[in-house]
Amino acid sequence: MGRVFVEQFKEFLGKIAGFLPNLLTSLVLFVAGLLIAWLIKSVIVRLAAFLKMDAVSERTGIVQVLQKGGIKEPVSRLAGRLIYWVVLISFIIMGLDALQMPAVENLLGTFLLYLPNVIVACAIIVSGYLLGNFLGRAVLIGAVNAGLPIAGLLGKFVKFTVFIMAVTMSLELLGIGKDTVIIGFAILFGGVVLALSIAFGLGGKDAAKDYIDRMLREKKEEDDIKHI
Amino acid sequence: MSVILREEVIQRLGEIGEADILVGIPSFNNADSIGHVVRAVQAGVAKYFPDKKAILINSDGGSGDGTREVVERVIIDDFQPLLINQRQDLLSKIVTPYHGIAGKGSAFRTVFQIAKELNVKACAVVDSDLRSITPEWIELLIRPVLERNFDFVAPYYLRHKYDGTITNSIVYPVTRALYGKRIRQPIGGDFGFSGKLAEFYLTRDVWDTDVARFGIDIWMTTTAVANNFKVCQSFLGAKIHSPKEPSSDLSAMLMQVVSALFNLMEEYPGQWKEVKSTSPVPLFGFQFSVGLEPVKVNIERMINMFKLGMTELGDLWKVILSTESLSGLQETAKTEPFSFGDDLWARVIYDYALAWHGKVMKGEHMLKTLTPLYLGKVASLVIEMADTTAGKVEERIEALCIAFEKLKPYLIDKWE
Repeated sequence: MGRVFVEQFKEFLGKIAGFLPNLLTSLVLFVAGLLIAWLIKSVIVRLAAFLKMDAVSERTGIVQVLQKGGIKEPVSRLAGRLIYWVVLISFIIMGLDALQMPAVENLLGTFLLYLPNVIVACAIIVSGYLLGNFLGRAVLIGAVNAGLPIAGLLGKFVKFTVFIMAVTMSLELLGIGKDTVIIGFAILFGGVVLALSIAFGLGGKDAAKDYIDRMLREKKEEDDIKHI
Repeated sequence: MSVILREEVIQRLGEIGEADILVGIPSFNNADSIGHVVRAVQAGVAKYFPDKKAILINSDGGSGDGTREVVERVIIDDFQPLLINQRQDLLSKIVTPYHGIAGKGSAFRTVFQIAKELNVKACAVVDSDLRSITPEWIELLIRPVLERNFDFVAPYYLRHKYDGTITNSIVYPVTRALYGKRIRQPIGGDFGFSGKLAEFYLTRDVWDTDVARFGIDIWMTTTAVANNFKVCQSFLGAKIHSPKEPSSDLSAMLMQVVSALFNLMEEYPGQWKEVKSTSPVPLFGFQFSVGLEPVKVNIERMINMFKLGMTELGDLWKVILSTESLSGLQETAKTEPFSFGDDLWARVIYDYALAWHGKVMKGEHMLKTLTPLYLGKVASLVIEMADTTAGKVEERIEALCIAFEKLKPYLIDKWE
């Protein structure tokens, strides 16, 4: 009885002894990850400052977008922080992998397979938001300069359509309610177009008539001014 | 020899050696109009500079309608009907496609390069779609350079009081206030200049920028003024072009002109900040005026565009304009009859220049939001000038220029 207990204890100690190097490796990787992530973050922040990333972001409208989302940090620091976490998470994953525990390995495998989708989905949403804003603004300005009274509506329509399309693509990529989202989007988009057509065709037929009349009249009454 | 000239052109220049006068004509698909321009140049050179060695350069953008063939073929055989004594040697012509980005600027670069290679004393450039060019234009653009030592001759056209509104309301007041020279038509398009200035133009590193595409006119004028070249103007009479494509969109045109103006502000801040007053520029030529023909102007449409901008572009203008300008615009929208003040307009334009300098938004978007404001100002000017004569119109433009000059300290103060 005592010998069985001793054998079991020895086996346990053997496993612990076998596991300790893995644990140590894992801890070393974690600490190294912390240091390297901090180092890379510092380099990125300085490089971003050298490349005037904050000024460029302000010019391209990225800062305004982030501010609307409640993020007030400079883009250079944000980029540094993002890189910090990517590097640190990579080291944590390596550290967990170094533990060589089957349950952790399985979990990691699943997580790692899904992670790229999450990153790409986030990138699509951010790009969709920026592109939506950009195109919406371009359409708004173009429509105002063309004298279209529905310029504001057109600008918003383009902006939200692009954003909703980006969200739909992201959700599809993540596999969340795959078919439901696509069908939902199609119904919503088709519905909006149909509703607008009906509203314009029936409800706003007089307004549409007035508008077309005015357009034709103004076409006839074009200026002879030479601007240049 | 430069890399921008083709081998056969270099060879031809070697044969010619040197020349006194060069006239450049940039072209792209102008077969229907360029013949008249070439004849006017030929007659002008024969009549006014019979003892000078002259050359005509057609710098073409790859026309597919036979423009280059027309230039090669057109010739005045008999000068007697023009009361001009026959020249011993005919005008030399070089017809060449230009190198680089498609645009008038690249075409001019080739002209400048040839002027340099031939050690030319005086040059002129004229548009290829001119219907109203006469031989006198060549004299008026060339003689101030050859005989009065001017380096740059800007054109002064006879125009309808409602024409040239971008020039009258933006380009002239801004260039005058900034650089201190009262050049009435800085973006005229037909210029005279010395060989020395042509060589100076070539040294500027702008040939891969928008200057090569559009904006060469304001660039030539500003470069001459900002670098203290001796400038003057010549009265050329009316400028009539071939009818333009209807697709020439106002907001794109405005964006091109204003972006060129603002880019030059970025290039010469040291010069324009130092200018404290303006001075007149000599004007040559026999001035005359003609009766004003009625011109169709849809003021209601312009005011409606301004009001639509007020409704829809407010959020974007908040990023571009100062609070004083925004409140001034709100007051303007309520005026009856409609009136857009000069002080407000000057502030609006300076705010746009500052926003361009600060790069607060994508440049194209920013400048296209100027269109409704510009139309508002044009509507206001047209209302004010409805019953005025050409002389009174000049007084009105003078008042507008003074508003820009008075507000210049605001621009300088905010620039940094």
